[in-house]
Amino acid sequence: MARRACIIAGGMCKWGVREASLVDMVQEAAKECLEDIPGLKPKDIDGFLFASSYAGRCSFQVNTAPVMAERLGLKPTSICARVDVLCAGGSTGILLAKGLVESGMADIVMVAGGEKLYTPQKWEVFYSELASIDHDWDAPHGLGLPPPFFALIAKEHMKHYGTTKEQMAWVSVTNYNYGSENPKAQFQKKLTLEEALGAPPVVPPLTLYDCCPITDGAAAVIIAEESRAKDLTDRPLVYIRGGAQASLHSVSANWPGEHLADWAHLRVAAKRAYESAGVGPEDIDVAQTHDCFSISQIIEVEELGFCKKGEGGSFIESGQTRIGGKIPLNTDGGLLSCGHPFGATGIRQAIEIMRQLQGRARFQVEGAEIGLTHNLSGLNVEHTIVIYGREPK
Amino acid sequence: MAILGIPILEDKYPVTMDMWPLEAKEFNRVHQFYENLKAGKFTTTRCRTCGHVAYPPRVICPECYSDELEWVELPKRGRVINFTEEVRGVPLGFESPLIHAWIDLGEGSPIKRILSRVINCPVGKLKEGSEVQLVVFEVPSHPIEVKGGEMRWAERVFFAFEPVEK
Ligand SMILES: [Zn+2]
Repeated sequence: MARRACIIAGGMCKWGVREASLVDMVQEAAKECLEDIPGLKPKDIDGFLFASSYAGRCSFQVNTAPVMAERLGLKPTSICARVDVLCAGGSTGILLAKGLVESGMADIVMVAGGEKLYTPQKWEVFYSELASIDHDWDAPHGLGLPPPFFALIAKEHMKHYGTTKEQMAWVSVTNYNYGSENPKAQFQKKLTLEEALGAPPVVPPLTLYDCCPITDGAAAVIIAEESRAKDLTDRPLVYIRGGAQASLHSVSANWPGEHLADWAHLRVAAKRAYESAGVGPEDIDVAQTHDCFSISQIIEVEELGFCKKGEGGSFIESGQTRIGGKIPLNTDGGLLSCGHPFGATGIRQAIEIMRQLQGRARFQVEGAEIGLTHNLSGLNVEHTIVIYGREPK
Repeated sequence: MAILGIPILEDKYPVTMDMWPLEAKEFNRVHQFYENLKAGKFTTTRCRTCGHVAYPPRVICPECYSDELEWVELPKRGRVINFTEEVRGVPLGFESPLIHAWIDLGEGSPIKRILSRVINCPVGKLKEGSEVQLVVFEVPSHPIEVKGGEMRWAERVFFAFEPVEK
């Protein structure tokens, strides 16, 4: 019988400005993760993947996987490696764990991720962002910090499709509302439309609540082979049905779309992910999209096929991404409210989708059976999708 | 005043934290790009085997993997498709306003569009459709150890665009 990978437990530390190091936060997240599945002991875990991109710059630590495994009391015998895909590192780790488990190479894998971004001096993390994009060709133009590029994307979406600042504000208001009751989120704040529209500018047209913050944090999940999963938990099983990761360019001059609001690389990733999972966008009951900026979520609902191209703004404004709407999104607060410790974000998203499909989410989508997570990473150079289901493919 | 910082790094230049490319030929096989910039030329590599023009310049052709490449010029003028102006919160190393433009290099160009910083331009001046041109400027030199701890300072340039109309 074919081996299948399930996500069976997850946990995260408090995200935000933390008085803690990267290794501290990873321990907190791993503790909560194992408390989520009382039958599982560290010695049962045979594989470990650790997603982090800034450890080299902000914690002066490379080869982080064995360092973290040692702190967590893990003694991996199938795999012990770091994954560096910036904002999509966590989701990438989950896709890799699926492959390792289904190939028979591993049985029970912990996928953890984390970043320590609040350094003693703030300029160091901003300066280090020069390493997050093509250092020689985009960074010298001052594109290391993402707001200018996403401001340009927003202006292009406004120009081509008539998207409004108010529609962008609705993304933030909706996601902040969910995050306001999430104790792990960086911000527990109910945001009003008036506050969002009156916020100080970052790079026009982006204002404060259009942008996710800088965040310290860590998260961890357990990916297990189906029969082991059944032994370990009585909760409904959540299968990793499929996924995809597409990278069509890296330097901004080679942007793959017709214009900057046309995300051809996300369409390619979505098509392949849906095919691999044997579902279509109409089958997704709940999703986590990469709302690093409000405009990102507007474009993502279009390219993921939840609405027509160009209609993302009105789709969100009309409440279709709230619970009760066509496709509830970011029901734990998303990046905008939870924050974005790059390597941990995809893992946080996976935890929320797992809980939704197990019927134990804070804001529950009734009867959710199929869920999706999406990340963009770097200067919008790569798109990563994971599709989960109560039933295997 | 005492020099602040990590005592063992006093008077050291941490080149691995440099915000500009390492352009010197000892460290970079496309250093000719920067030599061409110094001569006022905006260039990239074309494959002699299949004719493909790639940007940024490279060591192999990404289409056919030939390493028989030659330098070709790109247009030095283009038109602004869209742009952003950042006034507050400009990152270390850049001056306010930090302006970025998505530039159309024209139908004749093998590279259709480029995202570039726009300098020599006050806030409010740039418009969609504005004509911009290449501008080359010096950036800080960095040391290279030659022998016996001796240092050679590698001079560097980089590029941006600026409005044609002053
Ligand atoms: Zn070729």
